[in-house]
Amino acid sequence: MGTSDLDRQIEQLKRCEPLAEAEVKALCLKAMEILVEESNVQRVDAPVTICGDIHGQFYDMKELFKVGGDCPKTNYLFLGDFVDRGFYSVETFLLLLALKVRYPDRITLIRGNHESRQITQVYGFYDECLRKYGSVNVWRYCTEIFDYLSLSALIENKIFSVHGGLSPAITTLDQIRVIDRKQEVPHDGAMCDLLWSDPEDAVDGWGLSPRGAGFLFGGNVVSSFNHSNNIDYICRAHQLVMEGFKWMFNNKIVTVWSAPNYCYRCGNVAAILELDENLNKQFRVFEAAPHESRGVPAKRPAPDYFL
Amino acid sequence: MAAAAAWDGPTAGELKAAGAEAIPGGVRVKGWVIQSHKGPILNSASVSLFEDKLQTTHLPEMVFGESFVSIQNAQTGVKLHFNALDALKAWKQEALPPVQVPAAAKWKFRSNPADQVVLDYDYTFTTPYCGSDVVLNQDATQTTLDECSNLCWEDTDDRIDLVALSAKEPILFYDEVILYEDELADSGISFLTARVRVMPTGWFLLLRFWLRVDGALMRLRDTRLHCSFGSKEAKPVVLRELCWREATFAAMSAEGYPSESAAYADPNLVARKLPVVMERTQKLKIPS
Repeated sequence: MGTSDLDRQIEQLKRCEPLAEAEVKALCLKAMEILVEESNVQRVDAPVTICGDIHGQFYDMKELFKVGGDCPKTNYLFLGDFVDRGFYSVETFLLLLALKVRYPDRITLIRGNHESRQITQVYGFYDECLRKYGSVNVWRYCTEIFDYLSLSALIENKIFSVHGGLSPAITTLDQIRVIDRKQEVPHDGAMCDLLWSDPEDAVDGWGLSPRGAGFLFGGNVVSSFNHSNNIDYICRAHQLVMEGFKWMFNNKIVTVWSAPNYCYRCGNVAAILELDENLNKQFRVFEAAPHESRGVPAKRPAPDYFL
Repeated sequence: MAAAAAWDGPTAGELKAAGAEAIPGGVRVKGWVIQSHKGPILNSASVSLFEDKLQTTHLPEMVFGESFVSIQNAQTGVKLHFNALDALKAWKQEALPPVQVPAAAKWKFRSNPADQVVLDYDYTFTTPYCGSDVVLNQDATQTTLDECSNLCWEDTDDRIDLVALSAKEPILFYDEVILYEDELADSGISFLTARVRVMPTGWFLLLRFWLRVDGALMRLRDTRLHCSFGSKEAKPVVLRELCWREATFAAMSAEGYPSESAAYADPNLVARKLPVVMERTQKLKIPS
């Protein structure tokens, strides 16, 4: 696959037109070669722009690129959850993957808890692939790629980035580096925690979710993790925040959320975090794409004779 | 959602024939004012406000705190209101024990941190809420929904006439409003919605709480309200049917139904398969 093919595919995907099945297969093979070389704690240089959950909201991701600048001009780090819930998971993930293959050093993609076979079968990506391609082959190629995505990133040795949060099994970054990540997201253990856990005000140390699975971590856990690993703060995604970003625990952890008007009904704004070469921060807040630009007219819900 | 046909609302002819009048966000018909409003989810400041009012630090991820459906009888001031705050007050009061997800069994054997705190609030936000009612006095307009009204819902053997409601009459007003929703941290879904439709012969509302904890259980709590406009002289009567259904995934699977969560995406398709655990019909006679 040559550069001109890739450029053509990127242009096509930018118009929200999916690739042919054979093209997806070739793209995934190429991506695999690149991703397999990446560390579980992928090093990222500043300047970089950090993005949170996208969830298949393709037209809103286009707004994101309008605000943040195009790749490769802007260096991007995406914190996972590219797929599920929105209408365009296929186009969203393939565009990011094509950019990764075309500009491997200008975009970093790490894994979210939705980049999983099990979760995508319940929350939309599987059904979307089946609907758009008539078979589940594309879903299969993409979920294989999910297993190769890195688990976290470290920006200039100072900012630790991960989709969910911390794990009681992890105190040093080296413990993340030795995880064998090439597998489906497990139901427990360090890899699961990194993609699933949440910061929680109600605890200082570790908390267990009332669901009986899933860790919550408090301010003390974050302080000691940041201290032992000599990092300034943690940047994560995974939770919807109405204002697009939210600091917790005295600016030791920040949540970044990049899906505006989440699920097309929440009315929230989204944000990305721009870091310059000196790691100065600037949050760029943006709104959902206007209805006209989606090719779908705004309409009232059609009444039905519900009982 | 995306596939739904566009609807331009009722025609002027339909409204006129029914003696109805379109008003902002609703309709006025046969002495009733039916309105709805859809707002965004709560921002940080309003989340704090809700947390104070509810005395909790845990709210659903998406609380549409400004959204509501309101049905008011103009002559008597009787107002039925459906909103997130009151629904969450009822959740807080019912305080069911949390539902364990399937992975919980495995987590019990995990070497967890010794000092961990186990949170135990009802993260499913299951609520017995079936609407708020209030009588607005002509002179005391500031009566709030927090105040108990003296409206009396009596048990009855009457039933909502579903056959009459199936008639394809013109729809004078229709809306579907989400009051709150939570994704249970990707372990399922919990939401509370209110749907309303107004026809020339009456209004009908469905308040639905739907919960699916993947691999664990499903809960459906439906409240249906119907008012038939009837003759001008008769006092209006509102019928309210509560129907609660619930089953574990294990029980569903034992009945021969699928055990994967993907099979239970649409509560409309699931409803009849779930056994009824509570049923009750009540009648509200609007005082004159």
